[in-house]
Amino acid sequence: MESTEILPNDDLRTDEEIVSTVVGGEVDSFEELILRYQPRIFGMARKYFRNESDVEDVVQTIFTKTFQKLGSFKQTAPFEHWFMRLSVNTCYDALRRRSKHREQAVTDLMFEDESWQNRLDNVPDPDDQESLDKASELVHSVMVQISDKSRIVLTMQELEGRSIKEISELTGWSISLVKVQAFRARKEMRAAVERFLKKEENL
Amino acid sequence: MNASEKDNQFLKVAKAIPINEQSPSGFSKRIMTEVRELHSRETTMADERFLRLARNMPLNEHVPYTFEKRIMTMVRDWRTENPFTIWSRVLWRAVAPCMGIMILTALMSFNHGEPTTDSQSLLSKDNTEENFEIDTTDFETVMLASFDDLEYTW
Repeated sequence: MESTEILPNDDLRTDEEIVSTVVGGEVDSFEELILRYQPRIFGMARKYFRNESDVEDVVQTIFTKTFQKLGSFKQTAPFEHWFMRLSVNTCYDALRRRSKHREQAVTDLMFEDESWQNRLDNVPDPDDQESLDKASELVHSVMVQISDKSRIVLTMQELEGRSIKEISELTGWSISLVKVQAFRARKEMRAAVERFLKKEENL
Repeated sequence: MNASEKDNQFLKVAKAIPINEQSPSGFSKRIMTEVRELHSRETTMADERFLRLARNMPLNEHVPYTFEKRIMTMVRDWRTENPFTIWSRVLWRAVAPCMGIMILTALMSFNHGEPTTDSQSLLSKDNTEENFEIDTTDFETVMLASFDDLEYTW
Protein backbone atom coordinates (compact mmCIF):
# COMPACT_ATOMS: atom_id res chain seq x y z
CA MET A 1 0.00 0.00 0.00
CA GLU A 2 1.41 3.35 -0.99
CA SER A 3 1.65 5.85 1.82
CA THR A 4 2.31 8.83 -0.40
CA GLU A 5 -0.09 11.66 0.27
CA ILE A 6 -1.22 14.08 -2.38
CA LEU A 7 -0.59 17.60 -1.26
CA PRO A 8 -2.85 20.44 -2.32
CA ASN A 9 -1.42 22.61 -5.10
CA ASP A 10 -1.10 25.79 -3.05
CA ASP A 11 0.99 23.85 -0.52
CA LEU A 12 3.60 22.90 -3.10
CA ARG A 13 6.89 24.48 -2.22
CA THR A 14 10.22 24.09 -3.96
CA ASP A 15 12.75 21.69 -2.48
CA GLU A 16 15.00 24.61 -1.58
CA GLU A 17 12.19 26.37 0.29
CA ILE A 18 11.49 23.22 2.28
CA VAL A 19 15.19 22.80 3.07
CA SER A 20 15.38 26.39 4.36
CA THR A 21 12.35 25.76 6.57
CA VAL A 22 13.83 22.55 8.00
CA VAL A 23 17.21 24.17 8.61
CA GLY A 24 15.35 27.06 10.27
CA GLY A 25 14.02 24.64 12.88
CA GLU A 26 10.70 23.43 11.48
CA VAL A 27 11.64 19.75 11.42
CA ASP A 28 8.16 18.55 10.41
CA SER A 29 8.63 20.00 6.91
CA PHE A 30 11.19 17.29 6.26
CA GLU A 31 8.32 14.85 5.81
CA GLU A 32 7.37 16.69 2.63
CA LEU A 33 10.79 15.97 1.17
CA ILE A 34 10.53 12.31 2.14
CA LEU A 35 7.13 12.00 0.48
CA ARG A 36 8.47 13.67 -2.64
CA TYR A 37 11.55 11.50 -3.09
CA GLN A 38 10.87 8.16 -1.43
CA PRO A 39 9.42 6.34 -4.50
CA ARG A 40 12.45 7.26 -6.60
CA ILE A 41 14.89 6.30 -3.87
CA PHE A 42 13.18 2.95 -3.29
CA GLY A 43 13.31 2.30 -7.04
CA MET A 44 17.01 3.09 -7.09
CA ALA A 45 17.85 1.03 -4.00
CA ARG A 46 16.03 -2.02 -5.40
CA LYS A 47 18.43 -2.03 -8.32
CA TYR A 48 21.33 -2.58 -5.96
CA PHE A 49 19.79 -4.71 -3.22
CA ARG A 50 17.52 -7.70 -3.60
CA ASN A 51 16.58 -8.25 0.01
CA GLU A 52 13.73 -5.91 1.00
CA SER A 53 15.12 -5.32 4.48
CA ASP A 54 18.43 -4.21 2.94
CA VAL A 55 16.50 -1.83 0.68
CA GLU A 56 14.63 -0.32 3.64
CA ASP A 57 17.85 0.00 5.63
CA VAL A 58 19.65 1.86 2.89
CA VAL A 59 16.71 4.19 2.16
CA GLN A 60 16.41 4.95 5.85
CA THR A 61 20.14 5.74 5.99
CA ILE A 62 19.79 8.02 2.96
CA PHE A 63 17.01 10.09 4.54
CA THR A 64 18.56 10.31 8.00
CA LYS A 65 21.92 11.27 6.47
CA THR A 66 20.14 13.88 4.37
CA PHE A 67 18.55 15.37 7.46
CA GLN A 68 21.85 15.48 9.32
CA LYS A 69 23.67 17.10 6.42
CA LEU A 70 20.95 19.55 5.36
CA GLY A 71 22.88 22.35 7.00
CA SER A 72 25.81 21.79 4.63
CA PHE A 73 23.60 22.10 1.54
CA LYS A 74 24.57 25.22 -0.37
CA GLN A 75 21.67 26.69 -2.29
CA THR A 76 23.93 27.28 -5.31
CA ALA A 77 22.88 23.99 -6.99
CA PRO A 78 19.45 22.34 -7.08
CA PHE A 79 18.63 20.26 -4.03
CA GLU A 80 17.78 17.29 -6.25
CA HIS A 81 21.37 17.03 -7.55
CA TRP A 82 22.82 17.23 -4.06
CA PHE A 83 20.32 14.69 -2.73
CA MET A 84 20.77 12.21 -5.57
CA ARG A 85 24.53 12.39 -5.19
CA LEU A 86 24.23 11.68 -1.47
CA SER A 87 21.86 8.78 -2.25
CA VAL A 88 24.18 7.18 -4.81
CA ASN A 89 27.14 7.50 -2.46
CA THR A 90 25.18 5.97 0.41
CA CYS A 91 24.20 3.04 -1.82
CA TYR A 92 27.83 2.62 -2.83
CA ASP A 93 28.95 2.63 0.84
CA ALA A 94 26.28 0.07 1.71
CA LEU A 95 27.35 -2.12 -1.22
CA ARG A 96 30.96 -1.94 -0.09
CA ARG A 97 30.02 -2.93 3.46
CA ARG A 98 27.96 -5.87 2.25
CA SER A 99 30.53 -7.02 -0.31
CA LYS A 100 32.81 -8.09 2.54
CA HIS A 101 30.41 -10.90 3.36
CA ARG A 102 29.31 -11.56 -0.20
CA GLU A 103 31.58 -14.35 -1.40
CA GLN A 104 29.10 -16.64 -3.13
CA ALA A 105 30.15 -19.53 -5.33
CA VAL A 106 28.74 -19.72 -8.85
CA THR A 107 27.28 -23.15 -8.08
CA ASP A 108 25.23 -21.65 -5.24
CA LEU A 109 23.61 -19.29 -7.70
CA MET A 110 22.54 -21.89 -10.26
CA PHE A 111 18.80 -22.39 -10.67
CA GLU A 112 17.25 -25.76 -9.99
CA ASP A 113 14.02 -25.35 -11.90
CA GLU A 114 15.22 -23.81 -15.12
CA SER A 115 18.41 -23.45 -17.12
CA TRP A 116 20.35 -20.22 -17.26
CA GLN A 117 20.11 -20.22 -21.04
CA ASN A 118 16.30 -20.27 -20.87
CA ARG A 119 16.05 -17.58 -18.25
CA LEU A 120 18.44 -15.36 -20.14
CA ASP A 121 16.21 -15.45 -23.21
CA ASN A 122 12.93 -14.89 -21.37
CA VAL A 123 12.24 -11.19 -21.25
CA PRO A 124 9.96 -10.79 -18.21
CA ASP A 125 6.30 -9.97 -18.57
CA PRO A 126 5.52 -6.97 -16.29
CA ASP A 127 2.17 -8.56 -15.36
CA ASP A 128 3.64 -11.92 -14.47
CA GLN A 129 5.16 -11.74 -11.02
CA GLU A 130 6.75 -15.15 -11.28
CA SER A 131 8.68 -14.27 -14.44
CA LEU A 132 9.68 -10.97 -12.86
CA ASP A 133 11.00 -12.73 -9.78
CA LYS A 134 12.98 -15.15 -11.91
CA ALA A 135 14.47 -12.37 -13.99
CA SER A 136 15.29 -10.38 -10.88
CA GLU A 137 17.01 -13.41 -9.37
CA LEU A 138 19.14 -13.82 -12.48
CA VAL A 139 20.06 -10.13 -12.68
CA HIS A 140 21.11 -10.07 -9.02
CA SER A 141 23.09 -13.30 -9.39
CA VAL A 142 25.20 -11.63 -12.05
CA MET A 143 25.38 -8.28 -10.30
CA VAL A 144 26.77 -9.72 -7.04
CA GLN A 145 29.69 -11.09 -9.04
CA ILE A 146 30.65 -7.60 -10.19
CA SER A 147 32.77 -5.18 -8.15
CA ASP A 148 30.88 -2.35 -6.39
CA LYS A 149 32.17 0.54 -8.48
CA SER A 150 31.55 -1.35 -11.70
CA ARG A 151 28.08 -2.22 -10.52
CA ILE A 152 27.18 1.39 -9.87
CA VAL A 153 28.48 2.45 -13.28
CA LEU A 154 26.90 -0.49 -15.11
CA THR A 155 23.50 0.15 -13.53
CA MET A 156 23.57 3.84 -14.34
CA GLN A 157 24.96 3.56 -17.83
CA GLU A 158 23.41 0.40 -19.22
CA LEU A 159 20.17 0.12 -17.27
CA GLU A 160 19.27 3.75 -16.61
CA GLY A 161 20.82 5.08 -19.82
CA ARG A 162 22.79 7.87 -18.14
CA SER A 163 25.73 9.57 -19.82
CA ILE A 164 29.31 9.44 -18.55
CA LYS A 165 29.03 13.10 -17.50
CA GLU A 166 25.85 12.46 -15.51
CA ILE A 167 27.44 9.46 -13.78
CA SER A 168 30.47 11.56 -12.96
CA GLU A 169 28.27 14.24 -11.40
CA LEU A 170 26.23 11.74 -9.41
CA THR A 171 29.15 9.75 -8.06
CA GLY A 172 31.68 12.54 -7.70
CA TRP A 173 34.21 10.45 -9.65
CA SER A 174 36.20 11.97 -12.50
CA ILE A 175 35.04 11.46 -16.09
CA SER A 176 38.13 9.40 -16.90
CA LEU A 177 37.53 7.16 -13.87
CA VAL A 178 33.91 6.63 -14.92
CA LYS A 179 35.04 5.72 -18.45
CA VAL A 180 37.55 3.21 -17.13
CA GLN A 181 34.94 1.77 -14.75
CA ALA A 182 32.40 1.52 -17.57
CA PHE A 183 34.85 -0.49 -19.62
CA ARG A 184 35.71 -2.74 -16.68
CA ALA A 185 32.05 -3.14 -15.76
CA ARG A 186 31.17 -4.43 -19.20
CA LYS A 187 34.10 -6.84 -19.09
CA GLU A 188 33.21 -8.10 -15.60
CA MET A 189 29.57 -8.52 -16.54
CA ARG A 190 30.44 -10.51 -19.66
CA ALA A 191 32.80 -12.72 -17.67
CA ALA A 192 30.16 -13.32 -14.98
CA VAL A 193 27.44 -14.32 -17.46
CA GLU A 194 29.79 -16.58 -19.36
CA ARG A 195 30.93 -18.17 -16.12
CA PHE A 196 27.34 -19.11 -15.31
CA LEU A 197 26.71 -20.47 -18.77
CA LYS A 198 29.92 -22.50 -18.80
CA LYS A 199 29.17 -23.89 -15.37
CA GLU A 200 25.78 -25.00 -16.60
CA GLU A 201 27.29 -26.69 -19.64
CA ASN A 202 29.65 -28.62 -17.40
CA LEU A 203 26.96 -29.76 -14.99
CA MET B 1 52.86 22.79 -77.20
CA ASN B 2 54.32 23.93 -73.92
CA ALA B 3 54.20 22.06 -70.56
CA SER B 4 51.03 23.62 -69.24
CA GLU B 5 49.14 22.90 -72.47
CA LYS B 6 50.24 19.25 -72.22
CA ASP B 7 48.87 19.06 -68.67
CA ASN B 8 45.56 20.50 -69.70
CA GLN B 9 45.31 18.09 -72.60
CA PHE B 10 45.96 15.17 -70.24
CA LEU B 11 43.33 16.32 -67.76
CA LYS B 12 40.80 16.69 -70.56
CA VAL B 13 41.40 13.09 -71.63
CA ALA B 14 41.26 11.85 -68.02
CA LYS B 15 37.96 13.60 -67.40
CA ALA B 16 36.49 12.18 -70.58
CA ILE B 17 36.80 8.57 -69.27
CA PRO B 18 33.34 7.57 -67.92
CA ILE B 19 33.06 6.42 -64.27
CA ASN B 20 32.33 2.76 -64.05
CA GLU B 21 29.75 2.38 -61.23
CA GLN B 22 28.99 -1.20 -62.00
CA SER B 23 29.31 -3.53 -58.98
CA PRO B 24 30.06 -7.23 -59.17
CA SER B 25 26.97 -9.38 -59.33
CA GLY B 26 25.61 -10.46 -55.92
CA PHE B 27 27.90 -8.06 -54.11
CA SER B 28 25.12 -6.53 -51.96
CA LYS B 29 23.90 -10.02 -51.01
CA ARG B 30 27.39 -10.95 -49.93
CA ILE B 31 27.61 -7.85 -47.71
CA MET B 32 24.15 -8.42 -46.26
CA THR B 33 25.02 -11.98 -45.33
CA GLU B 34 28.00 -10.67 -43.41
CA VAL B 35 25.91 -7.97 -41.72
CA ARG B 36 23.27 -10.49 -40.65
CA GLU B 37 25.91 -12.80 -39.24
CA LEU B 38 27.42 -9.93 -37.31
CA HIS B 39 24.04 -8.91 -35.95
CA SER B 40 23.03 -12.39 -34.91
CA ARG B 41 26.43 -12.93 -33.31
CA GLU B 42 25.93 -9.74 -31.32
CA THR B 43 22.44 -10.59 -30.16
CA THR B 44 23.43 -14.09 -29.15
CA MET B 45 26.35 -12.78 -27.10
CA ALA B 46 25.68 -13.57 -23.47
CA ASP B 47 26.24 -10.05 -22.16
CA GLU B 48 23.88 -8.55 -24.72
CA ARG B 49 21.20 -11.03 -23.77
CA PHE B 50 21.74 -10.26 -20.13
CA LEU B 51 21.48 -6.52 -20.67
CA ARG B 52 18.30 -6.91 -22.72
CA LEU B 53 16.77 -8.83 -19.83
CA ALA B 54 17.98 -6.38 -17.18
CA ARG B 55 16.75 -3.35 -19.12
CA ASN B 56 13.30 -4.88 -19.33
CA MET B 57 12.97 -5.21 -15.59
CA PRO B 58 10.26 -2.76 -14.49
CA LEU B 59 11.21 -0.17 -11.88
CA ASN B 60 9.69 -1.03 -8.52
CA GLU B 61 8.98 2.24 -6.68
CA HIS B 62 6.69 0.74 -4.07
CA VAL B 63 7.04 2.43 -0.67
CA PRO B 64 6.30 0.49 2.53
CA TYR B 65 3.29 1.75 4.46
CA THR B 66 3.99 4.85 6.62
CA PHE B 67 7.68 4.67 5.84
CA GLU B 68 7.94 8.46 6.07
CA LYS B 69 6.47 8.38 9.60
CA ARG B 70 9.17 5.96 10.65
CA ILE B 71 11.88 8.27 9.34
CA MET B 72 10.25 11.31 10.96
CA THR B 73 10.16 9.58 14.35
CA MET B 74 13.89 8.91 14.09
CA VAL B 75 14.60 12.42 12.88
CA ARG B 76 12.69 14.03 15.73
CA ASP B 77 14.54 11.81 18.21
CA TRP B 78 17.97 12.81 17.07
CA ARG B 79 17.21 16.28 16.01
CA THR B 80 20.61 17.75 15.45
CA GLU B 81 21.09 21.24 16.80
CA ASN B 82 23.51 24.07 16.35
CA PRO B 83 26.45 23.42 18.74
CA PHE B 84 26.41 27.08 19.81
CA THR B 85 22.76 26.74 20.83
CA ILE B 86 23.58 23.69 22.95
CA TRP B 87 26.58 25.50 24.46
CA SER B 88 24.59 28.61 25.37
CA ARG B 89 21.82 26.46 26.89
CA VAL B 90 24.37 24.65 29.07
CA LEU B 91 25.85 27.99 30.11
CA TRP B 92 22.45 29.36 31.14
CA ARG B 93 21.80 26.21 33.16
CA ALA B 94 25.12 26.70 34.95
CA VAL B 95 24.20 30.26 35.98
CA ALA B 96 21.95 29.26 38.93
CA PRO B 97 24.41 26.87 40.69
CA CYS B 98 27.30 29.31 40.12
CA MET B 99 25.31 32.15 41.70
CA GLY B 100 24.40 29.90 44.64
CA ILE B 101 28.04 28.99 45.28
CA MET B 102 29.07 32.62 44.98
CA ILE B 103 26.48 33.81 47.53
CA LEU B 104 27.35 30.97 49.91
CA THR B 105 31.08 31.76 49.88
CA ALA B 106 30.39 35.47 50.28
CA LEU B 107 28.19 34.80 53.32
CA MET B 108 30.78 32.53 54.87
CA SER B 109 33.57 35.09 54.47
CA PHE B 110 31.43 37.87 56.00
CA ASN B 111 30.39 35.75 59.01
CA HIS B 112 33.97 35.10 60.16
CA GLY B 113 35.01 38.74 60.07
CA GLU B 114 38.68 38.08 61.06
CA PRO B 115 41.10 36.36 58.68
CA THR B 116 40.46 32.65 58.97
CA THR B 117 43.41 30.85 57.42
CA ASP B 118 46.58 29.94 59.33
CA SER B 119 48.85 31.62 56.87
CA GLN B 120 46.93 34.88 57.20
CA SER B 121 47.03 34.78 61.00
CA LEU B 122 50.76 34.08 61.01
CA LEU B 123 51.44 36.98 58.68
CA SER B 124 49.28 39.40 60.71
CA LYS B 125 51.05 38.55 64.00
CA ASP B 126 54.45 39.29 62.47
CA ASN B 127 56.26 36.48 64.34
CA THR B 128 57.98 34.87 61.39
CA GLU B 129 61.21 33.99 63.24
CA GLU B 130 59.44 31.93 65.88
CA ASN B 131 57.44 30.09 63.33
CA PHE B 132 60.58 29.42 61.37
CA GLU B 133 62.18 27.76 64.41
CA ILE B 134 59.16 25.62 65.04
CA ASP B 135 59.08 24.61 61.47
CA THR B 136 62.77 23.61 61.39
CA THR B 137 62.39 21.49 64.55
CA ASP B 138 59.49 19.70 63.01
CA PHE B 139 61.49 19.26 59.87
CA GLU B 140 64.44 17.71 61.75
CA THR B 141 62.19 15.39 63.70
CA VAL B 142 60.61 14.14 60.56
CA MET B 143 63.92 13.76 58.74
CA LEU B 144 65.60 11.86 61.61
CA ALA B 145 62.66 9.67 62.40
CA SER B 146 64.08 6.77 60.40
CA PHE B 147 67.45 7.00 62.19
CA ASP B 148 65.71 6.90 65.57
CA ASP B 149 64.14 3.66 64.51
CA LEU B 150 67.57 2.27 63.52
CA GLU B 151 68.90 2.71 67.10
CA TYR B 152 66.35 0.26 68.37
CA THR B 153 67.36 -2.40 65.88
CA TRP B 154 70.99 -2.40 67.18
